[in-house]
Amino acid sequence: MTRVGIIGIGHGVFGRRSDATVQELAFEAFRAAMEDAGIDRDALDASVIGSVPEYHKQRSLPGVVQEYLGLNPKPTWLTEVACASGSAAIRTAWMSIKAGVHKVVAVIGCQKMTELSTPEILALMGRVGEVQWESVFGTTFPAYYSMFAVRHMHDFGTTREQLLEVAIKNHYYGARNPCALFQKEITMEKAKASDEVATPLQVYDCCANADGAACVILASEEKAKEISKKTVWLEGMGCATASMSVLRRPNLVGLPSAVKAGTEAYEMAGVGPQDIKVAQVHDCFTIAEIMAYEDLGFCKKGEGGKLIADRQTYVGGKIPVNVDGGLKAKGHPIGATGVSQTYEIAKQLRGEAGERQVPDADIGLTHNVGGIGQYCFVQILRRD
Amino acid sequence: MDLGLEGKSAIVTGGSLGIGTAVALGLAKEGCNVAINYRRHDAEAKEVVRKVEEMGRKGLAVKADVSSYDDAHNMVKKVVEEFGGLDIMVCNAGINWDGVIWKMTEKQWDTVINVNLKGYFNYNKAAAMVFKDQKGGKIVNISSINGLRGKFAQTNYSASKGGEIAMSKALAKELGKFNVNVNVVAPGMVMTEMALNIPPEFLNKAVDETVMGRIASPGDCANVVIFLCSDMSRHITGEVIKVDGGQYI
Amino acid sequence: MFKWFGKVNFAPFTKVTDFAQYLKDGRLMGSKCKKCGATSFPPRADCEACMSGDFEFFEMSGKATLHTYTKIVAAPTGFEEVAPYIVGVVDLEECGRALAWFGETVKEEEIDIGMELQMVPQIFDELEEIKVYYSLEKPGTTWSKTNSAR
Repeated sequence: MTRVGIIGIGHGVFGRRSDATVQELAFEAFRAAMEDAGIDRDALDASVIGSVPEYHKQRSLPGVVQEYLGLNPKPTWLTEVACASGSAAIRTAWMSIKAGVHKVVAVIGCQKMTELSTPEILALMGRVGEVQWESVFGTTFPAYYSMFAVRHMHDFGTTREQLLEVAIKNHYYGARNPCALFQKEITMEKAKASDEVATPLQVYDCCANADGAACVILASEEKAKEISKKTVWLEGMGCATASMSVLRRPNLVGLPSAVKAGTEAYEMAGVGPQDIKVAQVHDCFTIAEIMAYEDLGFCKKGEGGKLIADRQTYVGGKIPVNVDGGLKAKGHPIGATGVSQTYEIAKQLRGEAGERQVPDADIGLTHNVGGIGQYCFVQILRRD
Repeated sequence: MDLGLEGKSAIVTGGSLGIGTAVALGLAKEGCNVAINYRRHDAEAKEVVRKVEEMGRKGLAVKADVSSYDDAHNMVKKVVEEFGGLDIMVCNAGINWDGVIWKMTEKQWDTVINVNLKGYFNYNKAAAMVFKDQKGGKIVNISSINGLRGKFAQTNYSASKGGEIAMSKALAKELGKFNVNVNVVAPGMVMTEMALNIPPEFLNKAVDETVMGRIASPGDCANVVIFLCSDMSRHITGEVIKVDGGQYI
Repeated sequence: MFKWFGKVNFAPFTKVTDFAQYLKDGRLMGSKCKKCGATSFPPRADCEACMSGDFEFFEMSGKATLHTYTKIVAAPTGFEEVAPYIVGVVDLEECGRALAWFGETVKEEEIDIGMELQMVPQIFDELEEIKVYYSLEKPGTTWSKTNSAR
């Protein structure tokens, strides 16, 4: 079966985009990716849209995006798996090319979250858990990760400071990323003084909802070699699920779906954690990044806190992670995040990351989680 | 019919006379431990306790004015301690002090409202707090057909008796989910000590009103109360059952 | 009447709807597959192990051990008046796990991972409509509180 490569990448500005509709945001990223690839729209066979529909007033999003991008009558459809929708879209495009059905596919992760009023968003938040047995007690998305943090701190001695070091690192890099929502560094004092959300997590432990879009163009090996000189290859694609409900997880100090997806990706790519030069992980909350280090094998179980405290995940450390600001500083337009992570790794592997460049980055990894770990997609990308 | 009242504990206010005594002894016969409250009639109260104990049950008489909120709570507390629990509350203690409104004094009004209506509130509340935690219990409030209709020279009495009915219905709504039934028995004319004070021509008038041509005995009323204290009536709540021989239809 | 379950209920229609009826009567029920015997809490109609749809309820003791917890300060719609509140995830003695509020018998300072708890059915007493839930209480707490052994 053919290799699949990324031949074009584009990213819009993440933030409170009250200046644009979701299809206009999609166009920003799409235009940039097409220019980057150097192709016209008739070179595309199809598109896949990654987005979470409940946040939009527009019903049936892919249709309106396809139309606005001028891609009718090409095929399109939506992939939705909460915050991993972007990666699901990439996987779907990858599958279609591997199967030989399509040759060049545009993947657009796009999301508006600020179209809803605060009460509407709060009501949606109330249904984020397993609605039958958990939401009845007023659970929220941060509350789940708080519970993971409480147990992680109990079992492994992870500290409050170690959690906040993740936020500090990601804000450091966000300040150097013009596409990021938050462009300022933060201090430990400021973070500790922020409002409580669900103990022990405070506002600075949590990523922010945002609007935004990102786009990658995927191509078969034959087409990629024809079109691009800087193809980044999708070498390992892992995907796994875990129970929606925390009540049916084997443990609450890591994400089993991430472990499984990571293992699958490593195997397919023929590499191990030690070979990864740069990574994007799903830091919806600070504890999530620490658990990701462990789930992906960047350190032993329980030693995630030490890894960040030792600054091993900064550029220059053992394994730079989220050096574009991560979800924390970039913002988290949930449908776009998976594609945004892929964009960043592609940039790193191409050597185009400017002051955030990881030297000699030839193998990179993205880790995109849906919800509280019911879905996880791990991608390993390589530059030849 | 086995009413299933064996081993239950009950309080009956105004239990030294009339309907109260009939209810107290009737419950004891069905297997209940019975505590009564009374105001003046020491000898009669003692006699009721003696009869209850004679039947092999625990008996207790507490002298108290039912219009005292604290006395009501203390009595419930005492009964729960001495009997080991409380399952049934029958509010029966009541007075009348008749008079046309232009002659009715403030004291006449207040006293009847406090003894009758407030008294029922005091004991219903004290019992409700036990029953709610326990997730079970029976409350029967004895009102009167004069709470369903207006009676000449009884603005105060009718108000209190009508109030008892509305209160019981509201309470039934609050306690239903905790498995507690709250019902009302509304007698017509009953041959009790209270009736002995009524002039003969009024008694005759009452008999004439009654389609069955007779006045109730205390037992006629007590039987219905006892039925409402049992699980036989577990699906009846917020109800008013007249025991009036058809005096007011 | 599964709509009775919880302060705000989003799943009124379910095959395990009788769970709420039992809860109102003070009984905590898990499910058991009639075909292969696999048990589950929360109860489920369709067996995870053998896929049979034939299940029955069985009564659980409510004995539980605390797995993790958090105090929710920023609350979702419908829970604003009761915030902040503490939720815990517990491992239940017979099988499964539950997520529930801590009740009045447990002080915040006492909460510790690994502590023994009793999961007790509860009724929201200040709502006119029937609404039920369960809470995490000190071991030995019962649903029906009587003063004597009856």
